[in-house]
Amino acid sequence: MQGDLQGEEPAEFKLSSQHLACPSCDSLIDTSELVDGDTATCPVCRGFLTKFTSDGVSRVISYATSALILLVFSCAFPFLSFKASGLESVMTLPGTAIMLYTHGMTDLALLVGAFILFIPSLIMVLLLLFYIPLKLEIASPWLVFAGRSVFALQHWCMVDVFLIGVIVSLVKIVSMATIILGISFFAYVGFAICFTLALTNTDRLQCWLAVERVAGNQF
Amino acid sequence: MKRTTAASCGMSSCHVCYKLASQSAHQCPRCGASMHQRKPGSLQRTLALLVTGCLLYIPANLLPIMITDQLGSSEPSTIIGGVVLLVQLGSIPVAGVIFIASVMVPISKFAAMYYLCWCAAKEAPSNALKMSKLYRITEFIGKWSMVDVFVVAILVALVSLGGVLVIRPGAAAMAFAGMVMVTMVAAESFDPRLLWDKMDDVNE
Ligand SMILES: [Zn+2]
Ligand SMILES: [Zn+2]
Repeated sequence: MQGDLQGEEPAEFKLSSQHLACPSCDSLIDTSELVDGDTATCPVCRGFLTKFTSDGVSRVISYATSALILLVFSCAFPFLSFKASGLESVMTLPGTAIMLYTHGMTDLALLVGAFILFIPSLIMVLLLLFYIPLKLEIASPWLVFAGRSVFALQHWCMVDVFLIGVIVSLVKIVSMATIILGISFFAYVGFAICFTLALTNTDRLQCWLAVERVAGNQF
Repeated sequence: MKRTTAASCGMSSCHVCYKLASQSAHQCPRCGASMHQRKPGSLQRTLALLVTGCLLYIPANLLPIMITDQLGSSEPSTIIGGVVLLVQLGSIPVAGVIFIASVMVPISKFAAMYYLCWCAAKEAPSNALKMSKLYRITEFIGKWSMVDVFVVAILVALVSLGGVLVIRPGAAAMAFAGMVMVTMVAAESFDPRLLWDKMDDVNE
C-alpha cells in the first residue's frame, strides 16, 4: 500500500514506547524519527497525528497571554453602535448574552455567553496554568487537571463562528441605519487570532510527553 | 493493507493523551482518564443523539427565530423566512451564508452521520479512507451552524431603540442551539476506528 512507510509486518512487529496508536484508525505508528518542525500524519487513514516543535511551549504561553489581554479590552468598550432616526443604541460584547437574558431566554443567554466569552477565556487561563509549569519544569499539582480540561473544552469555543455572525448581522442591518464599529470589535478580532494560534500550537501528544518528562523528574 | 492495530497487540490508546496501555487498565497511567479500547456504546449513543437532533430541527424551522417590533407592529420571522427576505433585499451572499449554515450544514451533517453509523454497523467492506475523510469534515463543520443563533443574539443586543424598533429572540433560537450542541456531541461519540475494524475483518 502506498504511503505505508512506517507500517511493519505483524510477524516482525515490536512495540516500543515511541509507538502511537492513530486515534481515528488504531494503526500503530512509529514516531521515533520525528525532528523539529515535522508534522506526522497517519499513513493508513491520512489523519493528523502530531506536530513536533521545540518552541511550542513558549509560543502557546505568549499567544494565550495576548489573547487574555485583548479579551479584557473587548469587554470594556462598545462593540458596535447603531444609529437610526435620531436614536442610538450601543452594544457591548457581554451585552449579547445579557440582552437575551432580559428578554427571558436565560438558557440561550448562558450558552451564548459560554461559547463566546466564558469557555474561551477559561481555556486561555487553563493553557497558562498548564504550559507555564511545563516551561519551568515544575510538576505542579494541577498540571494533569488543567491539561485534561483544555482538551475537554476545546471543541466548545465558537469565537470564529461569532465573528462570522457579526459580519452577517452587519450586512443584514446596514441598510436600516448607520453602524459604527467600536474598539471592542477590533480587540475581539485580535483575540480571535491569538486564541486560534494558541490552540493550533497546542499539540496533544507533545504536551503530554512533556508532562511525563516533568512529572518523571519530580516524583 | 499491512498494518498492526493497537487492539491486535492487546493495547488500547488513551483518548486524551494517546498513551498506550494494556487493555486491562481502566485508567490512563499518564493522565488518569478512563480508558476504553473503543468508545463504549458508540453507535447507539450517536444514533440516539442524531434522532434527538433531528427532532429539535423541526421546531427550529417552524417557530420564529426572531421577532421585529417596529412602531407597534410585530413581525416574527423563521430561518427560511429570513433567507427569503434577504434574497428579496438583494443580499445574495449573506442569504447564501445563512442558508448554508442553517439548512445545508445541519441536513448534510445528519445524512453523513447516519450513513457513517450504517457503514460502521454493516457487514460488507466499506471504503474506510473515504469514510474517515467524511467523518473529519462532519466533525469540523458542526459548530458553524451556530452562525444564525449568534446573528439573533447580536441583533437583539444591537437593535433596541425604545418603542421605535426592537428585535426580540424567538423560541426557535434555543431549539436550534440545542440541535447544534446535540449533533456536536453525536459526532464526538462516534468512534471512527469502527470503520477500520470492519476492513480488517474482511481482509483476514
Ligand atoms: Zn490512522
Ligand atoms: Zn491519557
